[in-house]
Amino acid sequence: MTWTDEELVARSIGGDADSFNELVLRWERPIYALAYRTIGREEDARDVCQETFLRAFRALPGFRGQAKFSSWLYRIALNLCRDWIRRERRAPVVQAPEDVDLIEMAAAAEPSESIEELVARKDLAKAVERAMTLLPEEQRTAIVLKEYHGLTFQEIADLVGCPLSTVKTRLYQGLTVLRRELNKSAV
Amino acid sequence: MTDMTCTYGGDRDQTLIAYLYDDIEPADRASFDAHLPTCERCRRDLAALGGVRQRLAQWQPPLPQLRQPSPQSPINPQSPINPQSAIRDPQWWRQVPVWAQVAAALLFLGVSAGIANLDVRHDANGWTLRTGWLKAAPIDAAQASRSADDAVSKTELTALEQRLRDEFRTVQAASVASPQPVRAATAGDADVLRRVRAIVDESEKRQQRELALRVAQVMRDVTAQRQADLSKIDRNIGYVQNQTGVEILKQREMVNYLMRVSQKQ
Repeated sequence: MTWTDEELVARSIGGDADSFNELVLRWERPIYALAYRTIGREEDARDVCQETFLRAFRALPGFRGQAKFSSWLYRIALNLCRDWIRRERRAPVVQAPEDVDLIEMAAAAEPSESIEELVARKDLAKAVERAMTLLPEEQRTAIVLKEYHGLTFQEIADLVGCPLSTVKTRLYQGLTVLRRELNKSAV
Repeated sequence: MTDMTCTYGGDRDQTLIAYLYDDIEPADRASFDAHLPTCERCRRDLAALGGVRQRLAQWQPPLPQLRQPSPQSPINPQSPINPQSAIRDPQWWRQVPVWAQVAAALLFLGVSAGIANLDVRHDANGWTLRTGWLKAAPIDAAQASRSADDAVSKTELTALEQRLRDEFRTVQAASVASPQPVRAATAGDADVLRRVRAIVDESEKRQQRELALRVAQVMRDVTAQRQADLSKIDRNIGYVQNQTGVEILKQREMVNYLMRVSQKQ
C-alpha cells in the first residue's frame, strides 16, 4: 500500500521511523536537485539536502498540515540555499568540468544517441548551467521551481512569499535573459 | 517590414508566461489564443521561450550516490540523516582545496610522529630523541652479558658498606686504645679512599657505556622510522603519479577524439 506524504508524516510523528525513511526516499532526489540548481555546487547541495531532512525531522511535531509536506520541505531547502548564498556572499558557481571519461559518457548515452549527440547534449547542459548563474537569485529560484519541479505559480508565490504577478514577471525576465545568453553561446 | 508592436490589452508578459506553462485561467487562454494569430511579436517570443524551455530540460544535476535504505538498516529516529551516509560521494577528496590537502599532510605527519612515539627530552645529559614504544633499549646478548658483568649489585654495595663501617669502627677503637698506631689507621684510610675512587671510576665508565648504547639505539630507531616513512611517501607518490598518468591519458584520448570529430566535420 502506498501512503500519502501526509499519512507518512502522521505516522512519523507517532514514532514510526520507517515512515520518515519513506519520506526521505521519496523526496531526497528532488530536494538535492533543487539545492544543486539553486547553489550550483554538488557537495554543498548534498549538505543542504541532508540539513533539510534533519530540520524537517526536528520540526515534524510542529507540522500541522497547513501546507503540503513537499511545499514545507521546499521552503526549508530554499531557506537553507538562501543562507548558503548569503554566507558565501556570491552567486552560484559553475563547477569546473570534471574529468571526461569516454566510458562513463558512453554509459550515460541514451540507447539511440550517438557519441556526438551526447557531447552536444553535455555542452548544452553546461551552457544552461552557466547562463543560470547569471540570473538574480529570485529569478533563478522561480525558474527552477516552475521548470524542474512543476510547481504552480500560486505554489511558488506561497513558497517565496511574493505576489503571483511577481512570480510571472520573474519568470519572464529570467527566461528572457536565458534566451539572450544561450543565443550568445549558440547552443 | 513586419509590424512588431503588440496590441494585447492585459499584462502581456505575464499572460505570455502563463500561456507558455499552460498555467492560465481559461478566459485568459481564450483571449490570448485569439490574439496570437494577429501578433508576430508574441508568436516569436512564445516560440523562442519554448526553445529556451527545451534547452533547460537538458540540464540535469549530477547524480549523487543516494542512500540505499534497507529494512535492516532503517534511519535512526534520533538521528534521521547520517551526514556520512545520506548522500555519499566517493570522490569527495578530489574537490578538497590545496590548503586543506597541505593541512591534512601536516596532520598526517603529526599522527605519524605520535604513532612512532617520538619522545624528545632534555635532562642533565642534554637533548634526547627517542622513537618506538620500547622504553628500555634492547641490547644484544653480548652487550647485555658485559653490562651484567660490569654491574655492581645492591648486595655487593651493602657488603662494601658494612665492611667500611667495620673498618671505621676498628680504626676508632684502635685510636682510643693507643695513639701509637696512627700510621696504620692512615694507611687504612688511604686504602678505603683508593677503593672508593675505583668504584666511582667504574661507575662513570659504566654510565658512559650505557649512554653510548642509548645513543646508538636512538640512531637505529630514527633510521628505521625514516626508512619506513620514506617508503610510505614513495608509495603515495607512485600512486599519485599513476592517477595523474591515467587522467592525462584520458584527456589525450578525449582531445584526439574531438580532433577526429572536428576533422570529419
